[in-house]
Amino acid sequence: MSSAKDVEMLDASAPAEANTTAPDQESSPEQPQITVALELELNFASLHKAAANFDNRYITKVFRDLGSLRRKIVTDPTPLASAIVKTYGLEGAVSLRLLQFLPTESVDAAKASNGQSADNTDASLPEINAYLHLLVQLYLLDTNALSQLRDLSTMIVALLKSYNRRSLDFILAKLWFYVARSAELHEELIALRPELLSALRTATLRHDDQTTASLITLILRNYLKSHDISQAANLCEKIVFPANAGAALSARYFYYMSFINAVQLDYSTAHECAIAAVRKAPQTKWAHGFVQEATKLKIIIELLMGDIPELKVFKAANGNFEPYFQVCKAVRLGDIKLFEEVLKKYEETFVKDNLFTLVSRLRQNVIRTGIRTISLSYSKISLKDICIKLHLESEEATEYIVSKAIRDGVIEATVNHEQGYMKSKELLDVYSTKLPQEDFDLRIRFCLSLHTDSVKAMRYPSDDSKNANSDANTESFDDKMGLLQALEDGDLEDFMD
Amino acid sequence: MALVTAAPYLALLSEHDPSLKSHALTSLNGVAHQLWAEIANNLVDLEELSEDDAFANHNLAALVISKVYYNLGDFESAVKYALRSGPEFDVEEKSQYVETIVSHCIDLYIVESSKAYILQNAAEPDKRLLAVFEHMVHKCLKAGDVKLALGIALESYRLDIVGSILSSELAKDEEVGSLLITYVLLSAKQVLPNASFRTEVLQALFAQLEAQENPDFFTIFRILVQLNDAQLAARVFRTLVHEGKSLVAYQGAFDLVNSASQELLVNVTETLSKDEKFDSTDPVAKRLLHILSGVPTCDLNITFLHNNKSIDVSILNTSKSLLDGRNSIFHSAITFSNAYMHMGTTDDSFFRKNLEWLNKACNWSKFSATAALGVIHKGNLSQGLSILKPYLPETTGSPYTKGGSLFALGLIFAGHGRSTLDYLKKFVLEHGNAAGSMDSDVMLHGACLGCGVAGMGCNSESLYEALKVVLYSDSAVSGQAAGLAMGLVMLGSGNAEAINDMFTYAQETQHEHIIRGLAVGIALLNFGREDEAMGIIDKLLDQEHPILRYGGVFTLSLAYAGTGNNEAIKKLLHFAVSDPSDDVRRASVLGLGFLLIRDHTAAPQIVELLSQSHNPHVRYGTAMALGIACGGRALPAALEVLEPLTKDSVDFVRQGALQASAMILIQQNETVYPKVKDFHKLYLDTIKNKHEDALAKFGATLAQGIIDAGGRNVTINLENPTTNTLNVKAVVGLAIFAQSWFWYPFAHFLSLSFTPTAIIGVNSDLKVPKFDLNVQSKPEYFQYPPKVEEAKEKQPDKITKAVLSTTIRAKARAKKQQAKKSKDEKEDAMEVDAPKADENKSKTSTGKDEASSKPEEKDEKSNAPKVTSFEPNTIRYLKVPYKISNFSRVLPNQANFVSFSKDERFVPIRKFRGAGGIIVLADTKPGEPVEIIKTVRQMNITEAPLPEPFTLSGEDLVDDIE
Repeated sequence: MSSAKDVEMLDASAPAEANTTAPDQESSPEQPQITVALELELNFASLHKAAANFDNRYITKVFRDLGSLRRKIVTDPTPLASAIVKTYGLEGAVSLRLLQFLPTESVDAAKASNGQSADNTDASLPEINAYLHLLVQLYLLDTNALSQLRDLSTMIVALLKSYNRRSLDFILAKLWFYVARSAELHEELIALRPELLSALRTATLRHDDQTTASLITLILRNYLKSHDISQAANLCEKIVFPANAGAALSARYFYYMSFINAVQLDYSTAHECAIAAVRKAPQTKWAHGFVQEATKLKIIIELLMGDIPELKVFKAANGNFEPYFQVCKAVRLGDIKLFEEVLKKYEETFVKDNLFTLVSRLRQNVIRTGIRTISLSYSKISLKDICIKLHLESEEATEYIVSKAIRDGVIEATVNHEQGYMKSKELLDVYSTKLPQEDFDLRIRFCLSLHTDSVKAMRYPSDDSKNANSDANTESFDDKMGLLQALEDGDLEDFMD
Repeated sequence: MALVTAAPYLALLSEHDPSLKSHALTSLNGVAHQLWAEIANNLVDLEELSEDDAFANHNLAALVISKVYYNLGDFESAVKYALRSGPEFDVEEKSQYVETIVSHCIDLYIVESSKAYILQNAAEPDKRLLAVFEHMVHKCLKAGDVKLALGIALESYRLDIVGSILSSELAKDEEVGSLLITYVLLSAKQVLPNASFRTEVLQALFAQLEAQENPDFFTIFRILVQLNDAQLAARVFRTLVHEGKSLVAYQGAFDLVNSASQELLVNVTETLSKDEKFDSTDPVAKRLLHILSGVPTCDLNITFLHNNKSIDVSILNTSKSLLDGRNSIFHSAITFSNAYMHMGTTDDSFFRKNLEWLNKACNWSKFSATAALGVIHKGNLSQGLSILKPYLPETTGSPYTKGGSLFALGLIFAGHGRSTLDYLKKFVLEHGNAAGSMDSDVMLHGACLGCGVAGMGCNSESLYEALKVVLYSDSAVSGQAAGLAMGLVMLGSGNAEAINDMFTYAQETQHEHIIRGLAVGIALLNFGREDEAMGIIDKLLDQEHPILRYGGVFTLSLAYAGTGNNEAIKKLLHFAVSDPSDDVRRASVLGLGFLLIRDHTAAPQIVELLSQSHNPHVRYGTAMALGIACGGRALPAALEVLEPLTKDSVDFVRQGALQASAMILIQQNETVYPKVKDFHKLYLDTIKNKHEDALAKFGATLAQGIIDAGGRNVTINLENPTTNTLNVKAVVGLAIFAQSWFWYPFAHFLSLSFTPTAIIGVNSDLKVPKFDLNVQSKPEYFQYPPKVEEAKEKQPDKITKAVLSTTIRAKARAKKQQAKKSKDEKEDAMEVDAPKADENKSKTSTGKDEASSKPEEKDEKSNAPKVTSFEPNTIRYLKVPYKISNFSRVLPNQANFVSFSKDERFVPIRKFRGAGGIIVLADTKPGEPVEIIKTVRQMNITEAPLPEPFTLSGEDLVDDIE
């Protein structure tokens, strides 16, 4: 599974990288070359504001630019080194600890440029401390310095435990994400688990929703990676995912939930979760990898539920959906032979997507669909004919399968065991039942809740009378617009890894 | 290597062999925090095990369950099982689990023990809980967190623990112990919700302090004020006199006069004079009784106000010429404004100079005008009666003058009514039955109000009965005053019988005036009763009659005044938005102000939304609530909310906002608070504007009076800084001032809320010696606002310029002086002063030094660009002090910078902590002659010696009548 996940991530980040560098260059002539150092300074200022105003929106803003900043640092870590030197001083303990992870040439350059100008004022601010750790962590991850990354991770875990500040919530969540990622790359999943669980407890005790949400997804992922599906199921039964977590995190959570439920045979819940995951995923190119994965899962679950996905699902999505399309085709036709062929042909893809177990389960569905088409076309058919049509082993096996299908409610029919035939029941007019009404009700409720949620999510400008006579008005207005923008964009960074 | 699944152990649980089960449990216990999700599936098995007493390890099972529940987030069950696990649960363990469980244990214990305390018969809390709780207390004590231990002991109603901690700490270190006692005292006042437990705590503290060898008597006095126990107070005074600590006794007596109820003072005096062991002919004892009578306090205060008055009559004259005196509302406005400005200064020259204008008053404005004399002479106990002689009922005159003079008499003796109450009571008794005819009604109105103010909080049954006769004659005019006065007399007593009488009559009578009087009376009766008043509050709030609900809301806000009680705030907010009657809504918003007196910084935030209400009554209430809660504190946030209200479209909202802003900005000057200039201008503009509504003009005129009240030497101070109790008189004054919405003469009650801002040092002979105090800051921060120059008055657009130029000149002058002074002092003072500042560390210097250095940078920034920001400028601390003499004006924010110099002859008997008021001084060189500042009383006695006003004799009397 780990390899599959990696592909997903690389998939997503490779085009993203290509795309994001272009607009950066376009915009640079307008704003004369925002250097990385300057950008870092600005981010520090934002962090200061966040700490002073207890407003986590500033941190969201900082994270919005994390992606591009990260790529710039990979090419040249000198500004990061000099920022560290500036913050902690040349000889500070933290400074030495962090600098050992950066390439020596850039550290030297940073030291040379900053001379004695080190002031220790910022060192006291945990937000900046955590942020710098995060940047170093990202640098190591991007340069593939895995063993160093592991050392840093242990340091960070110790650091994380020492803090208890609400303004840190977002950064903590991020740091944990990369700590878990580093453990994953080292295949130390199980060793990290107790740390994650205890951190989860701490986060819930502190009502730190952001970190809680992040940790829940990490733990679930951890379980799934080591194929502890039942443990994962146990866990998600007993925890409450924070409702106000970011959309990106919720999408992740729903994706895992969907997978767990599908494996646990609870297809309808799994389907709901898969839909939620696809819907909640950010609608940008950076999240394509995730959307693809979720869509694949959704297709398989739909098939398992006995539904056939619409054709446009395959057409609209970008990415390689060919194998899934073929599976769909086999299921739709109820052609067990075709199904076997497809399974054989694309086995590798399915294993890579970690969906092979689920896809193999479809075998039963192929047969059922076959029975269903038969029951629709024939009002009465002998079991032997069914056996031949579906290439089943024996007439007895056919009898079992048909009875099961009737019991599962796939077809409306009766089996005459003595004479060995299946008789379909008259089809009911759906509109004479309550079904459409209920469906309609469901949709209305969905719309209403959507409306309430949007109203709740609105932010109203504060009192105008006060702003009118303050000079700092324009500045704060720009500030606010920036924050709103950041909120709209959402926290996309998670999907860029 | 962490365990991946708990399944094998869980399987073992269903084995029959107990040793296997025990092994499984031990292993599960180790991994419970990682695998709880899995173990949770088997909770039922575990629970069975834990309940099986035959099973040896059932405690361990309980512990595992507790851990699982903890992880599941069900802390209640986690605590339950943790307690059940007995010895297995290790309180000492340092883990998040144990910490969380223990903290929940303590919460639970607090809840249960408070339930046990309040319901009396409820079951005692669980023994195991108790064990955990006591363990934690011991742990706190061991770690040295004594305050923490005291705090939770107080919260959980464990007086025994509080007592034992205090006595052990006292035995260890006196100083630390007494600091802790102060801490308990503070938290008892501010945190404890239950009044009867609070009394018990205070009594215990008192006993604790008394048992000490060298007790801190000032703390004892603070407790006495809150306990309101005359016997104890008398005992303390006796001991002090016996031990020869006369100065301490004097200071204590001054404190009591300042903050205790009149009832306590009267009872203490009575007990002491009856006591045989207390020799009342002893000069010290006599002087003590003299202080307790309140005469010296009043005398010193009015002397201060008289000597330092800085009244800008031109403001008053301008307003008078702009407002037509024939219109009674304008006439009253000027009357009130005049009364406030001259409050307590004994300067009634404005009336004397404007007799023609005064004659325009008719009916009730005449009443108000006469009563204003009482405000002006407030506290002039010795001459009060003679000043009012020409107007009292014995003369021939309009009944309004007579009634007003009776009210005035009450105001003069406000809170110290012993000498005049008999006269007023006699009048009420004689005329009580004659109520109904207009003439005697008006006089009775005045007399009743007079009785109420003078006899405030004296709890006198006979006075109450006399007032009841007036009430039962069922006349609207006198009945209203009687109802109110009954409340004032029984202030804060919570007397059930009286409440019942008043409530029943309020339901019976047809007169709305009487109902209102009674409703407010009931509110006053329940002042500070908190939960005990809940019965009558609910009863009143349930009434159909809006005026009774109005009373209920007022009762609620006064009963919980200054507590910031959340339930009460919620209730008031509910009524503020949902009651059908505008009066009730206005009153409930206004009531928020009383609740938030102590948390005044939270007030603007709470009422901000209400200030945008569509209902003008709610907006008016918001304005007044801010005025009440933030009175005298110059809170920028409050003014930001008020400013839009001063431009409101409804006239009375503007009135309220103007009054409230003046209450908040009282005594501020432009140097510290630049915005104040704009408000001064706003008041004047409102009065000048021809198209302005009468009510707004009324409000602006009152605002002018309030902001310059008492010759610019008083402030609104709702909390006694020395005792941390509410200043009852001031709060009551505001509460009745709020009734002036219905009845203008009540506006005079605001004068009760004004407290002189002075430092008055008196020596052992209760005389005021001349000496200097240091102020470690620049004088211009505390100067009087510049006077408006009359000549420029006619060109309104130049007024601002005129003001500015004087400020500049004043600044320049001050700078010159400063420079000169510093030059003068540099040679000798610098060497002396620098170490002096270090010595004076006590409270002021070190703390302020650091505090003031930081805001300095900010200060410079904000000074440069905008002058009219809401934010006040920071007052800077200066190493080189300037001098002020004893008996001079010291603003509340200035008091922190004031210090006594070490080498001065007089030193305060109590450590000076930046609180003004009357300070008893010890004389380090007793033999040498002293220069004395004469008080009004002393001066008056030399000019016209009264024929022996009291029957003192002996040496001290000679001292007194110098």
